[in-house]
Amino acid sequence: MNKVLLIIPAYNEEENIERTCEEIKEYNKEHHTNYDFIVINDGSTDKTEKILKEKKYPHINLVYNLGIGGAVQTGYKYALKNDYDIAVQFDGDGQHDINYVEKIIRPIINNEADFVVGSRFIDNTSEFKTSKARRTGIKILSFFIKLACGFKEYDTTSGFRASNKDIIKMFAIEYPIEYPEPITIVEIVKSKYKVLEVGVNMKERIGGSSSIHTWKDAYYMINVCLSILIAGIRRYK
Amino acid sequence: MAKNLVLMVMIFAVLLLTVIVYLLRKRKIPVKYALVWLFAVLVIVLITVTPNLMYSLANLLGFELLSNMILSMFIGILLFLTLVLTVMVANQKKKTTLLIQELSILKKEVEDKK
Repeated sequence: MNKVLLIIPAYNEEENIERTCEEIKEYNKEHHTNYDFIVINDGSTDKTEKILKEKKYPHINLVYNLGIGGAVQTGYKYALKNDYDIAVQFDGDGQHDINYVEKIIRPIINNEADFVVGSRFIDNTSEFKTSKARRTGIKILSFFIKLACGFKEYDTTSGFRASNKDIIKMFAIEYPIEYPEPITIVEIVKSKYKVLEVGVNMKERIGGSSSIHTWKDAYYMINVCLSILIAGIRRYK
Repeated sequence: MAKNLVLMVMIFAVLLLTVIVYLLRKRKIPVKYALVWLFAVLVIVLITVTPNLMYSLANLLGFELLSNMILSMFIGILLFLTLVLTVMVANQKKKTTLLIQELSILKKEVEDKK
């Protein structure tokens, strides 16, 4: 039996975090699964910490805000320390659908992939596909990722991802602080691990606001594209 | 070089040296980081005491004015220093991130045991 951990980064998610955690608990009950989860509270300034404490959800409170990269990496460090076989990044804002966790960890259990990305743009499973501007941005990133490592990824900013033990270890040691999603794909492919993209459902976020507001910002795009290209020319063992 | 100019530069060099020594005595900066500033003072003094050498060097490198060479030289040194500082800041950030993560995980473990 594989030990599975859901890593839930949360920054000011008082409106969503309880529902996210309850959904996981319910799912475990209904499907007799045993998914553990850990909420990484990234120095939230709202009631997120209070909710986590009162409801006794397993969580780590970062003593200072680190940003998404540092928060997620904390989850991978925790997964490594506690000897988990599979770690799944799962957003705390209600965008990700717990019913698809099984689908994205299956290729890892079957040894078909080391790293699996849940994609909105494969098999047409997703009800929510985000705005046109964002989709264009995602396509541009996809082009640069292909250029940097030769792998065609469609949903380049998906934060719904599953890793096996090797990748958990790799992320625990080094994880990009900024724009982790597109950059880690390049790093993983370049390190000769097998990546798979599977179709999942994503919902439109219900409460709170997304951590990415700057999508239309040209500066952001230039920064990410450059980071991807640099990840492509780094040396890997 | 004009006498009063030499005098001014010398006063500046002495002031800079005083500040560095003060910071060192108060343990505000380690010797390691003060060295580069002490080196800067040395360069300033060398420039002022060897004007002829500087003139021929400027000539050799194609500068029309000695002041242009000196200014370019200092801009170059400052750029290099900033680059070194950028690397240092990035290193600091890496270390703080690691500390925050490890401390937070440890805190959770301690609280779980209670």
